[in-house]
Amino acid sequence: MSALSRSFGRPGVLLCTALVTFPYALQRVFLHTPIESEMGTAQKIFYFHLPMAWGLMLFAMISGVAAVLQLLRRSERAEDVAKAAGEVCALLGIGALMSGAIWGDATWGTPWTGDARLVTTALLELVFIAYLIVAKFGGPMAARLAAALAVFGALDVPIIYYSVKIWKTTHPKAQVVQSLPPEMWASLWPCLFAILACSFALFELRLRQERVGRRLDEAWLALSASDVAPPEHTAPSGRSA
Amino acid sequence: MLQNASVTALRQTWILARNDLRQELRELELLITSVFFTVVILALYAVSFAEMSKSAQPKAVPGMLWIALAFVGALTLTRVFEREREADTFGALLAAPVNRVAIYGAKFSVTLLVLCVCSAVLVPGLMVVFPSSGVEGWSALEMLATVLLGCAGFAAVGTLFAAGLAHGGGKNVLLSVVLYPLTTPVLMMSLVATQRVLQAHPGAWDILAKIAAVDVILLIVGGALFESVLVGGAARGSGGGDSSRGAGGARAPRGGEVGPNMLGDDSR
Repeated sequence: MSALSRSFGRPGVLLCTALVTFPYALQRVFLHTPIESEMGTAQKIFYFHLPMAWGLMLFAMISGVAAVLQLLRRSERAEDVAKAAGEVCALLGIGALMSGAIWGDATWGTPWTGDARLVTTALLELVFIAYLIVAKFGGPMAARLAAALAVFGALDVPIIYYSVKIWKTTHPKAQVVQSLPPEMWASLWPCLFAILACSFALFELRLRQERVGRRLDEAWLALSASDVAPPEHTAPSGRSA
Repeated sequence: MLQNASVTALRQTWILARNDLRQELRELELLITSVFFTVVILALYAVSFAEMSKSAQPKAVPGMLWIALAFVGALTLTRVFEREREADTFGALLAAPVNRVAIYGAKFSVTLLVLCVCSAVLVPGLMVVFPSSGVEGWSALEMLATVLLGCAGFAAVGTLFAAGLAHGGGKNVLLSVVLYPLTTPVLMMSLVATQRVLQAHPGAWDILAKIAAVDVILLIVGGALFESVLVGGAARGSGGGDSSRGAGGARAPRGGEVGPNMLGDDSR
């Protein structure tokens, strides 16, 4: 493992782990997990939907907390973390919403309802897509504006979690997960592990890219400054050319 | 001590808001454009939904009200800060010995006032165009509270981001990208409250209390983030440095707003 880590770095190790775990999770879900009595085969999507939804909330919180640090301490490291987490959050949000829509269509007969859990999750996704748009096109203050957006996005996470408790929803309650039989848990764990390992690998990769980008910018600025600075021994202006 | 600071901040808010209102009263530019835009939306609703059945009106009219207010709100927020940008006074305002929360409060108050004026046109207008939208004897006081609380939530979020975009020279089109996802919860709650008010539902005050709670959270978060977003927090240690990225994607190492302006797309 250490040789693997030396060759590919932490993201490589995480991706390799996900690459091994995911086929195992697939065969467990489709071959070794009993078919749920009420929803039938459509329930299998739960093993992919739930990890993506949990990952969405986790990365939204990481992005929000890092954004607070970025705003309070002007921390570049926190900015990189917030941005990388925001991107992974947007990606997982698309996965969670799409898998939820497919599952909903099979079990509720409609891919979308005005359910509080669905609406709050879709809003979180929209906030993080807006985060990415602002971070890219927001002008000189893009980083700080985007950070403020991430803070509001993180505030949505507890609302998503408690939405099934506060409002009457069609979406299954949180207790459903706790009451899963052991054979379903045995399939859920590998799926959770694979999807989170893949997400953290992408997060780490983007984090590294941001840091390398920052170093390149600094080097470029230093180079520009040295080009602009007048040579030490030059003739008076007008004759130097 | 804390009480004195609060009183000072409130006094500064009042002075800044009064200054903005005085400017507005000289030309009425913001009010005229916003109210005219409201009337245009109302006319479009009247033309488009003239044949709407009586049974559909109670469900549709609250949606029309809040969609119109969301559009007018974005226009108002853009214009409130555009004036500062045109005169290049926002930087001076931030440099002045004024509590930054007072600036936020003043801009929030002006936006809220303009939205309330537009609502005063929009709500009676919708009632005239769609007379079956509410039951007999719905409460005007409840409607006033709904409009006030809904607009306050919208303005609380909008003021923060409109200020950030105006100060940083960001593109105004981004305000809509930011504003609508963030204000959707408060707009949706206001929509439900409006439906209940128009139906004289006994649970109208329950949802109004929830909107008020959301408004308080949005105002606290907006006020708390205002200074950090516009000016930036205190740099800590040697690792600190403004992390703003230039419009062209380049970053200055510790250059604040100078770096990004220095670097454009061409400079790479």
